[in-house]
Amino acid sequence: MAPRESRSRSGRKADQEFVSEAEEILERMREDYADLDDQRAAGGEVDPDLINRLFRSAHSLKALAGMFGLESIQDLAHHLEDILDGLRLGRVSMDSPCVGLIDEAIHTFANLLESVGNEEALAAFNEPVEDLATRIAASAKQAAAAGDELQSLDIDSSLLRALTEYEEHRLRENIQRGRHIMLVGSTFEIMSFDEGLSELSDSIRAIGEVLSTLPAPGETPESQIRFSLLVASDLSLAELTEALDFPDADVRSVREGTPAVEVISAPSERDSASPVPVAPELESLRSISETVRVDIRKLDELMNLVGELVIQRASIGDIAARLLAKPQSAQVGVELSKIHKSLDRKLKGIQSAVLEVRMVPMRQVFDKVSRVVRSLRRDLQKDVRLEVSGADTELDKLIVEELVDPLMHIVRNAIDHGIEPVEERRAAGKDAQGCIKINAFQRGNHVVISVSEDGRGIDRAALFARAQSLGLVSAETELTDRETLNLIFSPGLSTQSEVSETSGRGVGMDVVRENVMALGGAVEVESIPNRGTTISMTLPITLAIIQSLIVAVGKHRFAIPINAVHETLLIDASEIQRSEGREILDLRGDALLLRSLAKEFELDVSRSSEKQFAVIVGLGEQRIGLLVDRLDGQQDTVIKPIQGPVKNVRGFAGATELGDQDAVLVVDVSSLVEDTLSKKEGA
Amino acid sequence: MSEVSPSNQELRDWDALARAAGDRRDSSDSVGEAHRLLSFELAGAPYAVPVERVREIVRMRPVTPVPRTPEEIRGVISLRGEMIELIDLRRRLGLGSIEPSRRTRIIVVKTGDDEVVGLLVDAVREVLRISDEVIQPATGSDTGAVNDLCTFRGEFVSIIELDRVLTLDG
Repeated sequence: MAPRESRSRSGRKADQEFVSEAEEILERMREDYADLDDQRAAGGEVDPDLINRLFRSAHSLKALAGMFGLESIQDLAHHLEDILDGLRLGRVSMDSPCVGLIDEAIHTFANLLESVGNEEALAAFNEPVEDLATRIAASAKQAAAAGDELQSLDIDSSLLRALTEYEEHRLRENIQRGRHIMLVGSTFEIMSFDEGLSELSDSIRAIGEVLSTLPAPGETPESQIRFSLLVASDLSLAELTEALDFPDADVRSVREGTPAVEVISAPSERDSASPVPVAPELESLRSISETVRVDIRKLDELMNLVGELVIQRASIGDIAARLLAKPQSAQVGVELSKIHKSLDRKLKGIQSAVLEVRMVPMRQVFDKVSRVVRSLRRDLQKDVRLEVSGADTELDKLIVEELVDPLMHIVRNAIDHGIEPVEERRAAGKDAQGCIKINAFQRGNHVVISVSEDGRGIDRAALFARAQSLGLVSAETELTDRETLNLIFSPGLSTQSEVSETSGRGVGMDVVRENVMALGGAVEVESIPNRGTTISMTLPITLAIIQSLIVAVGKHRFAIPINAVHETLLIDASEIQRSEGREILDLRGDALLLRSLAKEFELDVSRSSEKQFAVIVGLGEQRIGLLVDRLDGQQDTVIKPIQGPVKNVRGFAGATELGDQDAVLVVDVSSLVEDTLSKKEGA
Repeated sequence: MSEVSPSNQELRDWDALARAAGDRRDSSDSVGEAHRLLSFELAGAPYAVPVERVREIVRMRPVTPVPRTPEEIRGVISLRGEMIELIDLRRRLGLGSIEPSRRTRIIVVKTGDDEVVGLLVDAVREVLRISDEVIQPATGSDTGAVNDLCTFRGEFVSIIELDRVLTLDG
């Protein structure tokens, strides 16, 4: 694995990431604004989607700038969002001078982006940005004249009240345009209403606009549901009923339209009539950043190809070795093995370059978490502060994506169940404000992400009682402290009897553990009464290409991911001790549970030697020793899922190809460790 | 190492079978709906699967047994880096397993969910074009693996219900 890069480079990488993403947004805004300006100049109606898109762009830009701590950009985007929201909801008229400010803001953004990473240059913009923001705010304040044409509609007022501000605006807009407003009602089977409803909406969209879709009260059988669609169209009631090929739908008029006046405008005229906005200064068209955004699936494909090349390289090595072994072909063998060596070096280069591209800092996820913490703090009214460290730790993009949900769940649990209410904290002599620490760091080929809180700690007795009531353990079951704590990973278990809004969404720690194990990682829990709980996830840095230790039991070979191997020992049968039928090895004073792969997988092998190898494996803190006959060295492996009817065989993470057409099963260390430690007696 | 790589050879086998079936098209019966079936042998008797479910036919290759799986799963094979399970069709149909011979083939068929699986058969015969009229229901199938029979050149060919065969209960 290539060494991780330094902090300063990560910082720059983050800036670059921001700039390239922001440029994309800005590019979209320029295009949308240009379209908007054209439509406005043509004197026609401005496409509401265009304003919505601009609004969303401004919103994304604001969120993005916030994530990267770029306040000036965030502020400006915020004010821009205000104007666009006004336009969107019809509070601000399209003819307002503030529309021109959108263009100015876009130019200012472009200038700001060029200065990202340079504090001084950014500071120089403070004044012009503030000035623009003030002008935007002032301009957005102008009130829109709101005529109350809605009262004249032949429609139930409860229905009108159910409209969102935006829907109401669209309704007003359509009334002003003189369109016919109608109410289309239809009843659907509950089981399939989404299909029917979207079919109906689609056919209406072909001939008009669906302003709002509302469930309608009324006499319907239990298995059915009725919807009313508020529709605007140039077609009259009769025409629309005719055109709408939907036998179950009933249509009634809410407001008669006024005949539309054809607006004819020659395109050549408007071109010369509308002033072309001139950029205040010449903008460079060249993109500033030198980064590209790539679909992660393309990287996967690339990774697969590299993986296959790596396997083929191994076959070339084999052939070279075979040629070298025979005197008559030794000369060719030497040449081939030279080529093999050079190929090897270059492939390693490609491999680490591709791996590097896939790496992203944990920061992105941590930012999401801190937003969640902020909103939970509000919702649960708990005073909690979040401390994050190791945000620059990098992980494979795919693992990061898969990690978001488990991490969120752990954090929600920590705030909801872990941190006590203020009174309880005070009574326990703790700081009133609870603290949640998230830490990420690299350990060997793994990244460890831990979430700690200083709450009440896990109540072992309550946990045990709950597990007992679920039939997971019996009253006589004797568990070690660790085994008791591990009960939180059992399906269906939640320590608080009432399911709360925050953490009780049908997923529990069992799902967290499953997700993490699916990534080849492990979850562990530590808890000290009244001091708090720590949940740690240990994850491989990448899933793409990994080194594996190839072991053999009789004629069977298996691959064990090297990141799960701590050491290998040659042991004599006489060194193996027994307790309650379990095999134990004295590993420098610690009792290490042993598990024979031959027994585990019921392989028929004849024991020939008294010597065996113990491969000490484990993720996180827990370790066991796997007994095997031979070690066959390390190889680069690409773990592939096994296709076919029998899914997810416990104990295996997939299979990999070694040399020519040889499939080798890859051992799933976390499930073996778990099975071994939970078994009371050896099989 | 100097000979044609096995996969090319196999592709050619498959092409030849498909072409031969196309050539026969006009000579034989062409009344009613036509089906194309790939026929093969198990314990001396002819069986068939729909051609559209077949991705390729490959020769026997090293098989890695998978512990903790039913005995019908002979193991995993590597097909150009893809790892696929190999079902011993003889065992699946209760016909008793035999050692692979020179004629043994693996028919790679598509499962419902975008995957493939290998079926181990004694030998591959040819692609049949048959019409609906020659299909009749089979009765008394123990495993539910064969629902229909068709007659071809005076012989009963058992049509394998792939979706049934690819479902292994425990």
